[in-house]
Amino acid sequence: MGALIQKSSLIGTRIKKLDAPEKAGGKTRYVHDLDVPGQLHAKILRSARVHALIKRIDTSKARELPGVHAVITAADVPYQRPIGVGKDHLPLKTDRVRSPRDEIAAVAADTVEIAEAALALIEVEYEDLPVLSDPRDSLKPGAPLIHPEPHGGDGRDSLKPGAPVAYAGKPDNIAMTFAYEQGDVAAGEAQSDVVVEDTFKLHYVTHCCMGVSGVIAEFDAMGNLTMYSNTQVPFLHKREFAEILSMDPARVRIIQPPIGGGFGSKLDIYPFEPICVFLAKATRRPVKLVFTREEEFLASPTRQPVILTLRSGAKRDGTLTFRKVETLHDNGAYTSWGATTPFVMMQTISSLYRVPHCKYHTTAVYTNNPYAGSFRGYGNLQSTFAVEQHMDKMADAIGMDALEFRLKNAQDPGEVTPQGMHFKTCGLKDCLKTAAQFSDFQAKRRANAANWKSPGRTKRGVGIASMLHVGGGAKIYPSDGCGSILKIDDFGTVTLITGASEIGQGSETVLAQLVCEELGLPMSAVRVVNSDTDITPWDVGVHASRTTFIAGNSAIGAAQKARVKILTAAGARFDMPPERLEMRGGFIVRADTGEALVEFSKFVRSLHFSDKAELVMTSFYYEPPSRHQDKEFKGDVSAAYAWATQVVEVEVDMDSGLVRLVKVTGAHDVGRVLNRLGIEGQVEGGIVMGQGYAFTEEMIVENGVVKNPAFRDYKLVTAPEIPEMEVHFIETMDGEGPQGAKGVGEAPAICVAAAAANAIYNATGVRIYELPFTPERVYRALKGLVEKLSWKAAA
Amino acid sequence: MSLHQEISFTLNGVVTQVSVAVEMSALDMIRTVLGMTGTKYGCGEGECGACTILVDGLSLNACLLFALDFDGREITTIEGLADDALGSRLEQAFATSGAVQCGFCSPGLVVQARHLLDKNPDADRGEIKRGIEGNLCRCTGYVKIVDAIVSAAAAAAEKEA
Amino acid sequence: MTIERYFAPKTLEEAAGILAKGGATILAGGTDLMPQMRSGRVKFEPVLMNIRRVAELGGIALAGGMIRIGALATITDLLTHPIVRERLPVLTEAADHFASDQIRNVGTLGGSLCNASPAGDLAPPLLVLEAMVDLVSKPNGFMKVRSVPIREFFVGPGRTQRAQNEILTAVHIPVPKPGFAARFYKFGTRPALDIATIAIAIGGVMVEGRAGRALKDVRVAYGAVAPTPIRAPKTEAALEGRPLDAAGIDAAANAARDEVKPISDIRATAWYRQELVHNMTRRILEDVAASGN
Repeated sequence: MGALIQKSSLIGTRIKKLDAPEKAGGKTRYVHDLDVPGQLHAKILRSARVHALIKRIDTSKARELPGVHAVITAADVPYQRPIGVGKDHLPLKTDRVRSPRDEIAAVAADTVEIAEAALALIEVEYEDLPVLSDPRDSLKPGAPLIHPEPHGGDGRDSLKPGAPVAYAGKPDNIAMTFAYEQGDVAAGEAQSDVVVEDTFKLHYVTHCCMGVSGVIAEFDAMGNLTMYSNTQVPFLHKREFAEILSMDPARVRIIQPPIGGGFGSKLDIYPFEPICVFLAKATRRPVKLVFTREEEFLASPTRQPVILTLRSGAKRDGTLTFRKVETLHDNGAYTSWGATTPFVMMQTISSLYRVPHCKYHTTAVYTNNPYAGSFRGYGNLQSTFAVEQHMDKMADAIGMDALEFRLKNAQDPGEVTPQGMHFKTCGLKDCLKTAAQFSDFQAKRRANAANWKSPGRTKRGVGIASMLHVGGGAKIYPSDGCGSILKIDDFGTVTLITGASEIGQGSETVLAQLVCEELGLPMSAVRVVNSDTDITPWDVGVHASRTTFIAGNSAIGAAQKARVKILTAAGARFDMPPERLEMRGGFIVRADTGEALVEFSKFVRSLHFSDKAELVMTSFYYEPPSRHQDKEFKGDVSAAYAWATQVVEVEVDMDSGLVRLVKVTGAHDVGRVLNRLGIEGQVEGGIVMGQGYAFTEEMIVENGVVKNPAFRDYKLVTAPEIPEMEVHFIETMDGEGPQGAKGVGEAPAICVAAAAANAIYNATGVRIYELPFTPERVYRALKGLVEKLSWKAAA
Repeated sequence: MSLHQEISFTLNGVVTQVSVAVEMSALDMIRTVLGMTGTKYGCGEGECGACTILVDGLSLNACLLFALDFDGREITTIEGLADDALGSRLEQAFATSGAVQCGFCSPGLVVQARHLLDKNPDADRGEIKRGIEGNLCRCTGYVKIVDAIVSAAAAAAEKEA
Repeated sequence: MTIERYFAPKTLEEAAGILAKGGATILAGGTDLMPQMRSGRVKFEPVLMNIRRVAELGGIALAGGMIRIGALATITDLLTHPIVRERLPVLTEAADHFASDQIRNVGTLGGSLCNASPAGDLAPPLLVLEAMVDLVSKPNGFMKVRSVPIREFFVGPGRTQRAQNEILTAVHIPVPKPGFAARFYKFGTRPALDIATIAIAIGGVMVEGRAGRALKDVRVAYGAVAPTPIRAPKTEAALEGRPLDAAGIDAAANAARDEVKPISDIRATAWYRQELVHNMTRRILEDVAASGN
């Protein structure tokens, strides 16, 4: 003993992801790689029509196929309950189908091949109904009604021919509406010197997780249910499944195998999971259900498509006055999280830059199209696309520099927005200045605009856009908290048992890092357990970029308790006040000199095996100090907020409309960088996801049918297409955040498309209001052949 | 019952004999008959590269290959790369460079990178990006994947020097 | 899928003999066959014949002013083989834009040609090089060979001149005459892994005349703008011997736009494809005029 140990910190360093070696070596077992002894394989029969009554289903031939254990339809599961955000969605459809993804029947068989063969033997008779495929038609008189009967039926009445079906339900196709107001937009408009109004159209894209959807369901001998599920919200899942099956929630266990990507696709319950459970129940065998890639395209939730009219105003001196928004959300056939994107969209409308007056309205309407779920950014990409194009338009109209205009309206730390969001830390101005500085934005924008008339095969443009998103959770459920248990064993190994889920984003590495920082231990000393609802404490789930912030604070809380316990005992042992001791480098040391007094693991062992044997185990539940929004959607819904600004440089090929994304310069207010390697990866990945949304990805839906359910024609960005990326982190040191950090998971994807729109305008003088910026769309716009979208005014 | 064919091949250095259905893909055989799950199903149509394996030293998509075509050939899957100096250097580089997030694309990428560096040990960043254009990743944005491959190549070059 | 018999012949005669007995599905690289089978687009014959072991189908060789590329040459072979790189660089260029490394390593020239996609990347260069396709059969107990010019080989989308009992064994390409150069262009948002929206190959011999540079022995071919990859004789006529000035290039580009008959599909509209044909033909000719090759 007696060695001197310096203070050191893990914060801001590059830390290898804990599970990376196993993943790189192909040893990780995803749900697709798991096999439960005795398992059967399930396949789902989906609708052959877009919108039709089901007159008859005959499963008799399928049942007789050797190797088939069960074939179920709605008639076989009278106990099924509606699922999803709107509770308008029965897993197995009863009297009608409303989209080609609709699940009509399901088979459990010895092999996947037999299950597929059995599907082909199921006979279904349909009676076609008119298809509603344009949300703009959904409220016209005479439009087909997608949900004409009451919800939550028990299926009893539906399959018998001639059975009466009550049509007492919705008189129209409205699934949800949202309305928000602050100030007085009429007064705001009266004060404006420039007013712009445009309609924007945001398209269907989908998550394309590299691992397709899959689940395994198993009932044990006592009727307890275990699901191997890729859900991002295991505890909510547990409660909801208990409800669906009328089971005691204590008897539902969710185990989360490593996930092949989430991005928000796994936040709701989708029919394939309850259907798998129904089959497990019917066969009394474990049942495994895995999608094909085509099925993944056809049946997974998408990003929310939106038609949005924005009316914005500003004064001659550059002050923003008002924003008025009317949106039409295509809700698809059933309601999932997509319909609730207005929660996030209205935050951008009301609070991205300072706007005194604001009015927001959304109508989400049923159609026979695919339904949307939650997807990284959650409506913010759509609203930012509109807001930031108008920022440019208004700046140009009053003759003010695009950066200066934004800086003039950017908030400062301490501001509370009219919507009640308290920006305790706010790095927006720094983000703007940093991104603009390192991209030479202002000079390039001026130079490029002077080139519009010049000949040339290609033209360059730069565009800027910022984003605002929650960075400290989002209090939409009764609790937005997370629990942690910390256990230190007699070898000095620390196990963090956290409710938070690892979905590939690196949360478990960052949580381990925070614990190691607290306890002065190397990363090798910590293990994280996070994937079993029977073991881990409650967490609401992975969404809203909340995990580092909330699970991080929870882990720190538990680690701090452990630290106190250990140093108090060490103080007693070495006859020193605990405040004069520290934990560094795996040792307990004198704080002033760094002199090592005892190895951490030895000390813990001696505590454990002493006369007053003591295990070191602590727990902590962290609830962020945010508030639920009130009925008017006002309230400080997150414990912290995050900003980013991106400057995008493009090169437009004038002969083809091909836009090459040359460079993205980003500045992110992340509070504090914890794992530098991890955060860079999140930002780079987010930028490329934003690039796909802006340029290459499009789910083409025609008359309710997805025309490109394959990677061949749904274009993800490939390695040679990525831009040069330069990312700067602004550390505003959030007071509430763990070590000052705020959430960043969604931010980098949010403003790419908006900045790209502004960049294309800067290159060519042409503004495009619809995504994606495919070569053909851009070329048509360059030729002046794109009709301005007209939909209703922002009324 | 499906027509079956006896085939014999070397898998990760081990001589293997299998009776395989003639229409079965190599991917299905690797995963369901041989039980090796490191090679992933990503799309089944050769667009994502998650199922990349090496056959007689060439990289290809196992989902597009008939299992029959393993006959008489040397197959390497991700599981076999740990025994290979460059392969294990790549795995380490992926892990330390931040090239792994959800990890689903990683095995296919490591195998493809192995082949790429075999053909072109001095590949620059642009050549690397072209070399992995058949591998999709949804999480990382590819930057750190390229970093990892560059780093493994440099480490390999150092060893040679 | 009702495959009843499987063969893996080692000689061409054996393979031709199997085909002579009745329908067989031919397996080469499998990169087109496997997905087509999975999706049900291709119905299997009762016999599956794997030709990968047939020695006569391999190899790339130059002899007597002809380059012979065996049907089993992979796309990677076209990218890396010195004879192709040096003598037929336009074919190497097309190979570089083909799918991905994983597919190039396995996909074969013969398989790609027999698949006859209207957008097939290799066809425009082969059309410009005036390749010949060798088809071998054994109809009456004796081996028979016939050579079909590539411009007659494609009959419709997915359809070729190859009869059920024939195997495509090789492609013969006359060594281009001195001064001949050709360029390939494929439009897409990616360097490869993209089904062409349009593809162009232009070849000819550059001559310097009094009025400036001109192209002689012009060959122009397009992919993805007609039911099959095509030569464009009207465009060729507009270029042949004509000075490559702005007017000449314009005339050729306009001729090209009118000559192609693309369809509208989920990848692009017909109008846009025609615009691309016009603009990119013009661009290639401008580059050719400027650089002198």
